[in-house]
Amino acid sequence: MYIDSFNQNESGNNEKQSATGYPWLFSYVTSARVKSTLVAVLIIVIAIAFYNWYSRNGTDPYPDSGVGLFFATTGTLFFVMAGVLFSLRRRAKKRAIGQLNGALQWHIAFALIALVLLFLHSFGNFNPRSGTFALYSMIAMVISGFIGRALDHFMPRLIAHEVQKALTTQGDDRMTTISQKLQDLVVYNTQKVEPFAAQSQQGSPFNKVRGGKQGTSNAFSTDSASWDLAYISLEETPQELSRNEQQYRFVPDRKSTLTQPGALIPGAQAQMAALEDVQQALQREQFFRYIIRYWRIVHICIALTTLGLTLWHLEYAATLWLPH
Amino acid sequence: MFKPALLHKTGPQVVQEIRACIGCNECLIACPAIAEPITIDVLNRETVSGNISPAVARFSRSCYQCGACVAPCPVGLHRDAMMMWLKVRLLSSGQEQ
Repeated sequence: MYIDSFNQNESGNNEKQSATGYPWLFSYVTSARVKSTLVAVLIIVIAIAFYNWYSRNGTDPYPDSGVGLFFATTGTLFFVMAGVLFSLRRRAKKRAIGQLNGALQWHIAFALIALVLLFLHSFGNFNPRSGTFALYSMIAMVISGFIGRALDHFMPRLIAHEVQKALTTQGDDRMTTISQKLQDLVVYNTQKVEPFAAQSQQGSPFNKVRGGKQGTSNAFSTDSASWDLAYISLEETPQELSRNEQQYRFVPDRKSTLTQPGALIPGAQAQMAALEDVQQALQREQFFRYIIRYWRIVHICIALTTLGLTLWHLEYAATLWLPH
Repeated sequence: MFKPALLHKTGPQVVQEIRACIGCNECLIACPAIAEPITIDVLNRETVSGNISPAVARFSRSCYQCGACVAPCPVGLHRDAMMMWLKVRLLSSGQEQ
């Protein structure tokens, strides 16, 4: 209702075109994505072609050769650019709408280029040394990035599905609505029972005969009690004794209609089940949000590990190159 | 960092937040998902009511709820919750058809 009133007030000049639906698979072509993909493909194709040519015709196809070092230097440069440019763009003061998305596309492209160039730098030498560990870490980082992109694609839709379960069609909190219904049921059932109790007190012939004011507290107001006090035992009844025990439970008779589900409060079972559904939907929503959040942290941790392993490898390479 | 993830907001809460929006564009500038220029007033209007234009629908589907839009908001609004509301609207409209 609240939203409907907002609609009437402010939906005067909506666009005629309207989009509906939220498919699982969707992809939008943007200029930044096209440019970054083209540049990445071009550089990767040129690098692989040169690698193939050099592997057949080159004199020194090893990681520490001139060509190997060229691959290493450019690969590291693209790796640094992938990490630094996106972070700088995120922290820049002068920004425009859509620029960060462009920076993200270039971040992906540079990381891919860096992976391919550093892979070519190895020239097939995968001995268990610092460089190999750095390369494996780099591969793990790129894979974690792609998994992160996939999670970013699918998780929000899953969240939206869970949110849809947790909200009514009017957009209100479904849990509140169900709680209200439950409360109404309890009130209804209580009202159904109360007239009997009230009738037993108000409709008693003793009240009419006595003509006393209702609500006055005297010894004769308990009309339903037995008048012969000799039959009233002051000892605790077996029920009262069992109630005082620690493990007391009210267990109605097996033949009683109370044992049937929903008989005590008709309609409550369905509401309780709905309430449970909403609670589960909220838990799942939170779980999906945690996945989105923590996968990003995992990706950054792998990136930092890769940086550390790369520095270790550079230190190792420096010991080979620098004179002792 | 280990705070519980913010859950969604209800329709009335979203409307309340949109009414409190001052239209500074900071949330859209900080967003890594938006790829085309969308004005904040169009986004606000279409979030709660009427037709959803193709550009806003593309943006809302692309939003991955990273929460980068929340910190820069000078009035402390949750644009990610508003975008989630838009996603639910899109999802519902798709199911209706």
